[in-house]
Amino acid sequence: MKPLVLLAVNFLRQHRWPVLLLFAWIVFMALATADFGRSRPIPADIVFYAQQQAIYICIFSAFLAANAIHAERKSRRILLLLSRAVSRAQYVSAIVSATWTLAIGCAVVFALCAEWLAADAGLPSPGLWLLVMPVAAGALVAAAASMFFSTFCNPYLAIAFTLALFCTPAVWHLDRHAWSTWLPGFPLLLQFLKFRFAPDWAPNWIAIIAALLQSVVFWGLAVAAFERRDIAVPVE
Amino acid sequence: MPGMLDYDCVTKDYGSSWSPARVRALDSFTLSLERGEICGFLGPNGAGKTTAIHLALGFMRPSSGCGRLLGKPFGHAATRARVGFLPENVALYHLPADRLLRFYGALSGLRPQRLRLRCSEVLRQVGLEMEARRNVAGFSRGMQQRIGLAQALINDPDLLILDEPGSGLDPLARVVMRDLLLEANGAGKTIFLSSHLLSEIEMICHRVAILHKGRLIRVGRTDELLTSRDRYHIVARGVPANRFEQAQAHDGRVEFTVAAALQRDTLERIWALGGEVLSVNPVRRTLEEVFVELTGEGADR
Repeated sequence: MKPLVLLAVNFLRQHRWPVLLLFAWIVFMALATADFGRSRPIPADIVFYAQQQAIYICIFSAFLAANAIHAERKSRRILLLLSRAVSRAQYVSAIVSATWTLAIGCAVVFALCAEWLAADAGLPSPGLWLLVMPVAAGALVAAAASMFFSTFCNPYLAIAFTLALFCTPAVWHLDRHAWSTWLPGFPLLLQFLKFRFAPDWAPNWIAIIAALLQSVVFWGLAVAAFERRDIAVPVE
Repeated sequence: MPGMLDYDCVTKDYGSSWSPARVRALDSFTLSLERGEICGFLGPNGAGKTTAIHLALGFMRPSSGCGRLLGKPFGHAATRARVGFLPENVALYHLPADRLLRFYGALSGLRPQRLRLRCSEVLRQVGLEMEARRNVAGFSRGMQQRIGLAQALINDPDLLILDEPGSGLDPLARVVMRDLLLEANGAGKTIFLSSHLLSEIEMICHRVAILHKGRLIRVGRTDELLTSRDRYHIVARGVPANRFEQAQAHDGRVEFTVAAALQRDTLERIWALGGEVLSVNPVRRTLEEVFVELTGEGADR
């Protein structure tokens, strides 16, 4: 457990600038939605803000996780890390956990900003904090999936595969089928797009549980694939 | 009884089995390190030294064969808590030196109190105690190499695996590095030292293994390796120098070398000329000469 925490904290420290940038972006977009306090925000804009930020947080998680192994291999810092009493499983888990922690932090900042906007516009906001749940689940499954793909692809391909995995079902309108709830990422994406400031809005809990289970599967696959990688071979 | 580091017929190929660009980096490599020795690991660039080291640390898997690190199969994470590793071209996180060492030490399972002690100890050993609070990003190449060695020593390892520890160091720093390695060895640590600095290897290693094109071509005790069985150095007095090929005379003594096959005849000639044989010793070569002979042009023939 201790190496996992150390590696996760180290990962967070290394990525503090992009994370701060994302935090600043979330706040800036909230201010922009409120027209920097000059006028009352429009409800449709706030809904768009919430949907947009929810999706951004998941994509950010995927980007962060996809680049982790590649960047460490490229800088060759991974050699000293894995020459210690650290298993590959611990290493992968640390990155996924750190990414998820960051995503939750972003989701909380986003929820605070959206609540402020909603209060300003006089919209009911209880559903907003429930939206944090699918965002957290979406960020986790995105991180785990892109981490899995990044163990055998370069980061760009890993991102492309993750986005394809999550978004392709939309092309075939698979949301018309009941089993689409179990597709990775897709049902959460639908929830973000269907989010409304309504007092009775509630997330799809089955989709959240499915996403958590899928995260465990992708994490396991990432560990299994990473265990077989020659990490000392230089990467492009 | 297993050694500190055992390679048992280890082969490593790079590239897919169907690829025409498949390269054999290590070929049926067998070597065993004994406890408490310093083993030099030599070979030209691309000979497979770094590959062998990376296999031991579990960075990659052998294509065939197997190996054991401190008695456990390669890749066993917990065993690496007893190993210190310094890679070639060390890459470090941009942290103050003491924080960096604490990070690597904690990853090896050191407890905070012991870690604090070890941290100041190794910083003093590598001569960087005054730079403890300075970010390593601002360190010179030599200082980075020294902090790299410090992180290898932080967990007080039983086995030190060093890949080119002398690269980037000035002559003075090399002396410090050599003394550090001897000190560590004196404290019972086994050292596996890959280096191109043959004079360093010659000075500190008990045993030397030479790798060429992925194959282990020579392994043995350093003094045995450097002692030629083909030529002998003879010192005599009371004989004219011009009677022996390439003989040099000074202080009434004549010195020259002869092939092993001619040693007996030469001694008889000295006695026949009324001379006295002062000493007969196998010629001692330098490691460089041995290395060039084994791996240079024509070595394959």
